[in-house]
Amino acid sequence: MKIRMILYTFLTTMIGLLIAVLFQSNSEPDSRDTRNIGELRQALISERETQQTLNEELNRQMEILYQLEQTEDVELVMGDVMEDLQEQAGLTEVTGSGLLIEIDIVFDENYTGGGIKSVPPYLLRLLINELNIQGAQHIAIGNQRIVSTTAIREANGRTLVNGNWLSQFPIEIKVIADDPESIHHAMMSSQASDLFNYDNFRFSSTPIDNLTLPSFDKNYRVRFMEPVQEDS
Amino acid sequence: MWLPLIGLLLGLLLGFFTNVNIPEQYSIYLGMGFLAAFSTLLGGARAQFDNEFDEKIFITGFFTNLILAITLAFLGVHLGVDLYLAAVFAFGVRIFHNIALIRRMLLKNWSNKKENE
Repeated sequence: MKIRMILYTFLTTMIGLLIAVLFQSNSEPDSRDTRNIGELRQALISERETQQTLNEELNRQMEILYQLEQTEDVELVMGDVMEDLQEQAGLTEVTGSGLLIEIDIVFDENYTGGGIKSVPPYLLRLLINELNIQGAQHIAIGNQRIVSTTAIREANGRTLVNGNWLSQFPIEIKVIADDPESIHHAMMSSQASDLFNYDNFRFSSTPIDNLTLPSFDKNYRVRFMEPVQEDS
Repeated sequence: MWLPLIGLLLGLLLGFFTNVNIPEQYSIYLGMGFLAAFSTLLGGARAQFDNEFDEKIFITGFFTNLILAITLAFLGVHLGVDLYLAAVFAFGVRIFHNIALIRRMLLKNWSNKKENE
């Protein structure tokens, strides 16, 4: 009887231990917040920036509302707003000071790879990201305006932007920005420039005072919005 | 009768207070250990009601079941087939079977006692 009890006790102790350990291991959170103070501050700053942009947007909308309330001619204000939105969406031609980036093929003596037909899409995406980080306002690759729904992808070994093949080399990338000089310097020392060089592309940028970007010539495919008809 | 319950509590406390954490891929083995221990415990209880409890069978049964289950789980992980399910199934069937037998015996004892009164 005594041995039996000891055996039972041994087993129940084990069961208890296993349950406790399993319970603890499974209730452990999947990912822990391991950011240090610096990273937390950065996150805080980016959140503040978001807040600021949202506030600015709110102010703008309030202003438009105020204008609409004040003026008799609502259509005029609506027209202004519409033009403004169209410019933001890339549906109009824009002119301004900016940057002309040229990408061309360059071969050194030791080049042993195959022919280069087009710029790989990931490089273009990287470049666009860097330009946006540096404060570019409008971007066009070749004759294709980059808008929020632009797709850059590869088909049959050639790169498509907005569903169109890129023109032949050299490829021109036009960028409109407030401060072309600083973007020019940032781009010449950027990671994108290095990566283009690794892939046998020559990457050059020149600030230009008067640059015209084409408009987005396709139809926007709007998936999650629809016009609301006022009840008549 | 109280000793096993104290053991269970002791095990739970020990587990929670030592703060042991095991990686997720080993939790299968712990689960196997738990199932083997639980089914052996119920098997032992059932044998006790039948008056055929034998310590040797109890201990060897526990360890062979445990080793077999863990081997199956290990092989399953390395072969990419969920072989541990076989052990889970076997242990599960055994647990339910033994619980059913124990319930019947308890009911029988209880009604016998009532008739004698």
